[in-house]
Amino acid sequence: MSDTVLTLEHVSKNFGAITAADDINIEVGQTEFFALLGPSGSGKTTMLRMIAGLETPDTGRIVIGGTDVTRLPPYKRGIGMVFQDFLLFPHKTVAENITFPLKMQRSSDTEKAEHLQWVVNLVHLEGLEDRYPHQLSGGQKQRVALARGLVSRPSLLLLDEPLANLDRELRKEMEVEIRRFQLELGIPFVYVTHNQEEALTMSDRMAIMRDGKMEQVGEKFSLYHNPTSQFVASFLGSPNVFSGRVSAVDGEIATLDWHGHAIQARAHGGLKPGDAATCYVKSEKIAIETDAGEMSGEIRDVIFKGQYADFLVLLDNGEEVTVSSSHRGQLVKGAKTHIIWKPENADGFPAGE
Amino acid sequence: MKNNRLFFWVLTGPGTAFLLLFLILPLMSIVVFSFWRTESYHLYADWNLDNYRVLATNPSYVTFLLRSLFMASVVSFVSLVVAWPVAFFITRYGGQFKIILLLLTSTPFLTGEILRVTAMQQILGPIGLINMALTTFGFDPVTALMYSKTATAIGLIYLWLPFMVLAIHLSLLNFDFELLQVAKVNGARPLRAFWEVTWPLNRAGSAIGVVLVFIPTLASSITSKFLGGPNGALFGNILAHQFGSTGTWALGSAMGVVLFVISLLVLYIVWKSIGDLNRSGITIKGGAE
Amino acid sequence: MFRNLSITLQIVMLVALYIFLYMPILYIVYVSMQTTAIWPFPPDFTGEHYVNLWHATDYHTGFRNSLIIGIGTGMISSVIATMAVIGILKYRVKGSKLIAGLFLSPLFIAHILIGISSLMFNKTLLGLPGNLFSAIIANATYATAFAFLVLLAQLARYDWRLDEAAMVFGATPRRTFREITLPLVWPAIFGAFIVSFLLAFNNLEISFYNLGATPTLPTLAWGSLRHGISQELYALAALINAAVFSFLGLLYILIRSGVIRMDFKD
Ligand SMILES: Nc1ncnc2c1ncn2[C@@H]1O[C@H](COP(=O)(O)OP(=O)(O)O)[C@@H](O)[C@H]1O
Ligand SMILES: [Mg+2]
Repeated sequence: MSDTVLTLEHVSKNFGAITAADDINIEVGQTEFFALLGPSGSGKTTMLRMIAGLETPDTGRIVIGGTDVTRLPPYKRGIGMVFQDFLLFPHKTVAENITFPLKMQRSSDTEKAEHLQWVVNLVHLEGLEDRYPHQLSGGQKQRVALARGLVSRPSLLLLDEPLANLDRELRKEMEVEIRRFQLELGIPFVYVTHNQEEALTMSDRMAIMRDGKMEQVGEKFSLYHNPTSQFVASFLGSPNVFSGRVSAVDGEIATLDWHGHAIQARAHGGLKPGDAATCYVKSEKIAIETDAGEMSGEIRDVIFKGQYADFLVLLDNGEEVTVSSSHRGQLVKGAKTHIIWKPENADGFPAGE
Repeated sequence: MKNNRLFFWVLTGPGTAFLLLFLILPLMSIVVFSFWRTESYHLYADWNLDNYRVLATNPSYVTFLLRSLFMASVVSFVSLVVAWPVAFFITRYGGQFKIILLLLTSTPFLTGEILRVTAMQQILGPIGLINMALTTFGFDPVTALMYSKTATAIGLIYLWLPFMVLAIHLSLLNFDFELLQVAKVNGARPLRAFWEVTWPLNRAGSAIGVVLVFIPTLASSITSKFLGGPNGALFGNILAHQFGSTGTWALGSAMGVVLFVISLLVLYIVWKSIGDLNRSGITIKGGAE
Repeated sequence: MFRNLSITLQIVMLVALYIFLYMPILYIVYVSMQTTAIWPFPPDFTGEHYVNLWHATDYHTGFRNSLIIGIGTGMISSVIATMAVIGILKYRVKGSKLIAGLFLSPLFIAHILIGISSLMFNKTLLGLPGNLFSAIIANATYATAFAFLVLLAQLARYDWRLDEAAMVFGATPRRTFREITLPLVWPAIFGAFIVSFLLAFNNLEISFYNLGATPTLPTLAWGSLRHGISQELYALAALINAAVFSFLGLLYILIRSGVIRMDFKD
């Protein structure tokens, strides 16, 4: 990648028996919003802490802006960070909190004032400069944390689940704003979250982590639509899971025997006829029709969500499948339906991984 | 960070060395002396068990010891009961002024044990304030307060109660008072809520408080000297005696060792009664990794 | 209603405790202003003991020595304990529990044992005489444990990730301590100093055995016991208490007016 700002090469880190990072390789470009997504305990925070210098990797190299910083202490790395619990300094006012990085760089008072003015306008904290953190709401604290991360115009901003402590409304709003800041500033953001909606909304590229391993890295669309790892296929979206035995493989497409139905999916991991397989199909990639068809059943329940609805379909073979689709009048509880999906919208992997 | 061990030892090393050198080493030396012999104010290194034999066989020493143990138990218990509501109030409602309320319980230390105990004597004694006031108004004097074990106990509570308040306060500092609201929402009355939530979560504080009061009481000598009357002598009195006029340092050392062993025993019992420390309110925020 | 009852009860207990604790001290203050110490009723006020105190240089020396012991112990103990508590809480390494146990161990050792053991160790094994210095050292072993306890309980709530945040924003470890840690924990350190000072200033049992011939307030009191405590000592105690209460009053005003803050909310 051209104009790479951050590179991690073969970075590993163990805490006793726990592997928090296992041979991680990442590159983040100049104007990129990069999301690190994974369940709790998968090693996301450890990764950020290593980039920030709060943790030293056991092996591997970290390069920021062309400089190898692997052994550099945090205060010499010149990056910004937004912490999960904000970690505002309770004895400093909003203005003092925000200008703290500038104070450490021994910036002049006029420079401090200018930067403060700029960042306060950017994150809409006007009029709160003299308050103490305990006098702020959650959303305001979050903005202060963000402002403190941005104020020195760092070459790289790290964000560790910055929205985890906010309510849903506020989170939605902040997602959009954080993305806006990143575009305006043109610096790379490395954004850690366990919330896939956040990652999918904001990022350009993302990496999915599990147990210290990088499962898949790439453009968010490609990860969502073309998972190459079973974990990614099962983690992103809200997929239905079908387990069965492979009856045939024809090029890229495998056919599974699933409770008396032949279902089709893209074959991954060298599936062969006779293998036990697990197949994932995202609920919005299944079509639901009211006429008769091969996989038929009836609607057991409808969970209406406004823009769309989740239909719980009880198939004739006794299995239940969830389908997300726009709400239609004839799709009511008890209605006879059939479901169908294109083979390229399903992903099959060897079972038991 | 890799340097954690280094930083840890840089910070704790000086104190560790200080305590090993000036506390542990001297303490070990009196263990050694307890097996020696004193003759006309001199210690001789001829190893023997005589000092311990004297302590075990002379019934008066055992009596003094048992008396001290009983006294220490009573004093600790009363202090615990009295200190709890006080410490609770200071911590819960003291706000920014906690430190002042707390210092008010401790500043009497600046006046010195001897002055305070003799003042106590002049308040409790036969021609003391209380009894003189009573007789002036035609009541009988309270003989229990005159040169008695009760008077000693009052004096000891007076001296060491502030330690108990401090210990419980420190424990309550890390107690989440919101939990009491939860208990009350669920229908618990204040006393019940205290018993179900506050007490178990602050057992460590209570235990430390008990030890802080128990140990000095067990070894006390001055209080009983002034308030205890002729039959009020405690273990601490005869212990101090060995290092004073009689100069029998080896025997005194042996008594010190006995005192120390008993202190450890108390510590052990208190420790056991705390049970699982993780459930007794010691919650510490994560350090730097 | 139950709530009010229990708070009322707590306040009553608090006030009762203060009365109990200050009754002997008030008595001392009263006696310091009376012509006689033995049954000074009806009152016969006089200022002669204060005048005598003004001229009694041995009491001045004793007071100064007590002050030196208090301040010396307070400084040694609060510095040692602050360092150790930070080490233990910030850098969770194996063995830190054992070290914490060592720092707390003096709490479980009777004063008289500390006093006697250091006396015997210094005198018999090292041949060192007792003086102010040895008394400060012996007091500091005990006071360090108290300071440690005070700091441990208060710093247990400190969030060390604040220090990490400061470092990420460019603060060196030293700068971090000055900008973040110290402003947030100084009330605890101050508390530890005060507690150590209080314990050592008028300590009898530890100091007594380690002072040699150096006079301090408690040894003067001890010495004057034979003929009844001199009323100059009462006068001195009264003055000390007056100073303490002035200090507490000042502290109250400073906190009240927001000049110093004892507590930062998260
Ligand atoms: N300092 C540490 N000591 C021991 N284990 C740790 C430490 N830091 C993290 N871990 C472990 O490493 C794993 C990854 O943790 P973390 O990076 O915090 O995950 P995430 O942020 O994805 O939830 C977890 O199993 C966690 O328990
Ligand atoms: Mg995390």
